[in-house]
Amino acid sequence: MTDMSHEEAFSELAAVALDAVSVEVGAAVRAHAAVCPECGPELAAMEEAVAVLGQLAPDQQMYGGRAAGIRSRLVMRARAERDVQPGTETGSADLSRGVASLAGLGHKITPVSQRAVGTDAAARRVTPPGKVPPMRTVRPERPERNRSIMGWMALAATLALIATGVQLMRVSADRNSIRAALATRDSSSREDSLLAQIAEKDAMIAAMGGADVKMVSLATESAQQPHGKMFWNRVSNDWMMITYGLRSPKPGMTYQVWLVTDDAKISAGTFKPDAQGKTVMHANYALAPNALRAVAITEEPEGGMPAPTGPMIVVGSATL
Amino acid sequence: MSYSRDSGSNAEDVALIRRMCDSDETALGALYDRWMRSLYSLVMHLLKDADEAEDVVEETFWQAWRKASTYEPSRGAVSTWLLTIGRRKALDRLRAKRRQREEPFGSDRTFADLPSPSADPLQNAAGSELRRHVLTALQQLPAEQREVLELGYFGGLSQTEIADATGQPLGTVKTRMRLAMQKLREPLSMHRQGTV
Repeated sequence: MTDMSHEEAFSELAAVALDAVSVEVGAAVRAHAAVCPECGPELAAMEEAVAVLGQLAPDQQMYGGRAAGIRSRLVMRARAERDVQPGTETGSADLSRGVASLAGLGHKITPVSQRAVGTDAAARRVTPPGKVPPMRTVRPERPERNRSIMGWMALAATLALIATGVQLMRVSADRNSIRAALATRDSSSREDSLLAQIAEKDAMIAAMGGADVKMVSLATESAQQPHGKMFWNRVSNDWMMITYGLRSPKPGMTYQVWLVTDDAKISAGTFKPDAQGKTVMHANYALAPNALRAVAITEEPEGGMPAPTGPMIVVGSATL
Repeated sequence: MSYSRDSGSNAEDVALIRRMCDSDETALGALYDRWMRSLYSLVMHLLKDADEAEDVVEETFWQAWRKASTYEPSRGAVSTWLLTIGRRKALDRLRAKRRQREEPFGSDRTFADLPSPSADPLQNAAGSELRRHVLTALQQLPAEQREVLELGYFGGLSQTEIADATGQPLGTVKTRMRLAMQKLREPLSMHRQGTV
C-alpha cells in the first residue's frame, strides 16, 4: 500500500501511533502525514500521547551498577566510533561494531572458557599505607605533536582500546556466568551474594569502560607472566588494577603499587594476589590528567614503604 | 550516579541531540542520565524481564546515537522519540516471543497497573500535570476502548490481531482505537494551549 487517500490515512493514525499496523501501512500513512496539514499534526499529537503513556509506567530502577555499566559501554562505543575513523560513518560503524563485539559490548557473550577476572577474596579496596606521601598536583605537560608521534599514538590508542575490550569481555563473561548462576539460585542468601557479585562486576565494567579512562598495560620485559592492566578514571580518580600470574610474595613481604610521575613515585597501596595469582585492586588518588608516566609494582616489606626499595615485578608506561 | 525520572526541558534535550550529531559522545551520556530511568521503567513494564529491559535500553540509546541526525523537533519531544524507539524494540521482542512460543493473543499488562492520578509519584515534578490529565483521560475511557488500547499498547497487537482476540469486527476495533487515542491526545492540545 503506497498510495493512500486522506480518509484511509486518517482512519489509521491511531493505529500507527500505537505501532499496531504493518510496516507497509505504517510507511504509507507516514508518507501521507508528512505532507498533509491535518494528519501530520494529529499523528504527532497521538504519538506524543503514547509517549506520555510510557512515562506513566511504574518507576523501576536497575540493580546496582548495571545502569553505570550500560552508560559506560555506550559512551565507549560512541567514542570508539568517533575516534577510529572520524567522518566515515559506514567504516567507523563497522569497526566500532568489531571492537564492540570483541568487548562483548553489543550483545551478551558466552562465558565458556573465558578467563575469570579476580575473585571476591582478591577484590579489595586498598587504602594506601600510612607512609604514602601527601597528595600533590602535577602540572600537566603539553606533548609535542608531530605526524610520527601522532601515528604511534593512534596505534597505541587502538591497541589500548582493543586491550580494554578484551578485559571488558572477560569481566562481562564473568558477570554473565554469575547471572546464569543466579537463574538457578537455591536460596535467598545465595541470591543476595550473587547479586552483590553482579554489582561488583558491573562496577568494574563501568570503571574500565568510561570515556575518561586511561589504561596502562603492566608486564615484565619478556612479556611473559606476570602481567596486568591498570585503569584510571581521570574524572573520578578511581583506579582499578587487575593482575595475572603473580606468585605469592615472600614471607613478610607484600606487593606495592607505584604511580610514577616526573617528580615522585606515589604509593597506591599494597596487595597480595589470590592463590591463582590474580588480583583486582581498587584505589582512589587524585592526579593531574597528564601527570602519570608509569605504573610499577615492587615487592616490599609488609605494610609498604614510602619509596620503592625492592625488585620491580612489573611495569607499564603511561605515555604511549 | 542517580538517574532522574523527570528530566528537565526539551530544549536541553534538543541541545544534546545537536551535540550528538557533532559526534560528542558526552552528550549521549548526558541524554542517558536524563532518560534512562523513564525508558527502563517503560520497557520493564512491557517486558517484565530485567535482562531484556536492560538490553532494550542499551539498544535504544545506541540507536539514538547512530540516528541522532534523523530526529526532527517538529515531530515531537526528544523524550517522545526515545520512548517510541524503546517501546518499538520492546514490542518487537514481545512479538518474537509470541511467534516462537505460539502464545495466545492478549496481555496480562493493563493500564490498571498504572498509578492513580492522585498517587502519581511525580506529581511535584515538571510535566506531571500533563501526565495526570492523560492518566485521568485514560481511566475515563469506556472499557471496550480501553481494552483495545491495552492490547495495542502493551501487547503490540495489530488491529487485525486485536479483532481476532476480541471477536470484534476490524472496523469496530479501528473506531475504538481511534476514539481512544483522540481522547488521550486532548489533554496534550489543552496543555499546549494552557487551558489545563
